[in-house]
Amino acid sequence: MTRALDSEIRLALTRKFILIAAASSMLTACVTSRVEGVRENKTGIAEGEGVVIMAKSYHLGNETEAKFIACVGDAVGRGSAGLRVVPNNEFVDALFPWFEPRTAPAETKGLPDLMQRPGVPEKIAEKGVRYVVWLDGDTDRVAGGGSMSCAAGPGGGGCFGFAWWQNDSKYQASVWDLSGLENAGSVSADVSGTSFLPAIVIPIPLIARTQAKACKGLADQLKLFIVSDEGA
Amino acid sequence: MSTKLRACATAALAVTLGACSGSQVKLLDPTIPEPLIDKLPLSVAARYPENFAHFVHEEVVIGKEKWSIDLGRANELLFTQLFGAMFTDYQVIQQDTNPRDLAIDAFIEPTIDAFEFSVPSQSQTEEFAVWIRYRIKIFDGQGNEIANWPISAYGKSLTTTFGSDEALRRAAVLAMRDAAALVILQMDKATGISKLSAATRDPAMLADPQPAEDVTGEKVMQTTATEDPADDSGT
Repeated sequence: MTRALDSEIRLALTRKFILIAAASSMLTACVTSRVEGVRENKTGIAEGEGVVIMAKSYHLGNETEAKFIACVGDAVGRGSAGLRVVPNNEFVDALFPWFEPRTAPAETKGLPDLMQRPGVPEKIAEKGVRYVVWLDGDTDRVAGGGSMSCAAGPGGGGCFGFAWWQNDSKYQASVWDLSGLENAGSVSADVSGTSFLPAIVIPIPLIARTQAKACKGLADQLKLFIVSDEGA
Repeated sequence: MSTKLRACATAALAVTLGACSGSQVKLLDPTIPEPLIDKLPLSVAARYPENFAHFVHEEVVIGKEKWSIDLGRANELLFTQLFGAMFTDYQVIQQDTNPRDLAIDAFIEPTIDAFEFSVPSQSQTEEFAVWIRYRIKIFDGQGNEIANWPISAYGKSLTTTFGSDEALRRAAVLAMRDAAALVILQMDKATGISKLSAATRDPAMLADPQPAEDVTGEKVMQTTATEDPADDSGT
């Protein structure tokens, strides 16, 4: 009799667990995204040519996260249509001190002067860099609310409550063509999402991964933008 | 008290103490890359202050944490690499050597005026920021001071990317690279050091300065050594 009751309780708990797992896998946080490009000049890339992904200078107030830059670099270099991506620290070191936060050109009109610096064109050619992609923007938490409390004791612990927050990831990538010393155009990604964290004993996070989505969207669009040989 | 409860209490205490303690960070002889510049045809000597061989700075966030950074001999390495790349002939002299006894065009004395950093709990951001103010005094071959140039360098790094210790270390290295970039870009404009080579041969040149060409290849016409407001990039 007791054994039958035990197995019934176990079955009910298993059902409940499966139900929660299924519900959490079906429920995903809301994300809206917009990725767009503006072309100013013709692009295209030849064999052996590559790109370098850089963050705009923090001297100009830019706050782009290093992990986002690494993410875009990885994503642009990955896949069958992946481009050759030169690691930005390698590029910055090779061209020291002309791509430091203080000295990097802020606009394409600084490129002719940069190319006249001793050894700069040779080093860029040696690295095989055709495009410099300047990333600007960041991810911010713009709203949030709710409350949750957790407690733990010798017999176990648990949480109860509901929390939510909204993140906005806004990034822009400006593409500079070092062969023509011109601005090829820009690609922007604007991703907004609300994450939820309901908890009845166990917290079930429903996270809106806005930064990851912006990274993927921006990288995919950048690949198309650079490879495409459409005119302006 | 049960084992679980004791473990929880110990963990909570460790977290609390960890949050209060801050950290000690040490720079392991960072180097700057070889700069892409033309050397100035000058014979230059420099003497470093004692703290260039071992520099430690502490920052205390009142009631919260104590951070310290040990730059070791990073400053010595920085200026040796930097000036070695900027001048055709460069040597570092000891404290007891009189630079007037040397056949040089210029003598440089770099010092650290100030070193500061901020940690996330101070700035209410996720970043570490480091400010370094160096002062570079330049003398001609006869020992006359021709420039007293303060420079402010700045570096910052996000803690979420590199972890706290590594972020502070990286911010310090970035600040030193920033200083190097600033020296390369503006030293000749601000101090007119390139004219000293000609002045050694013809002292009248100092009284009648001619436009010089700095290491960056730009024509310059500047003999004063005042601080450039744009140098305060950290503010």
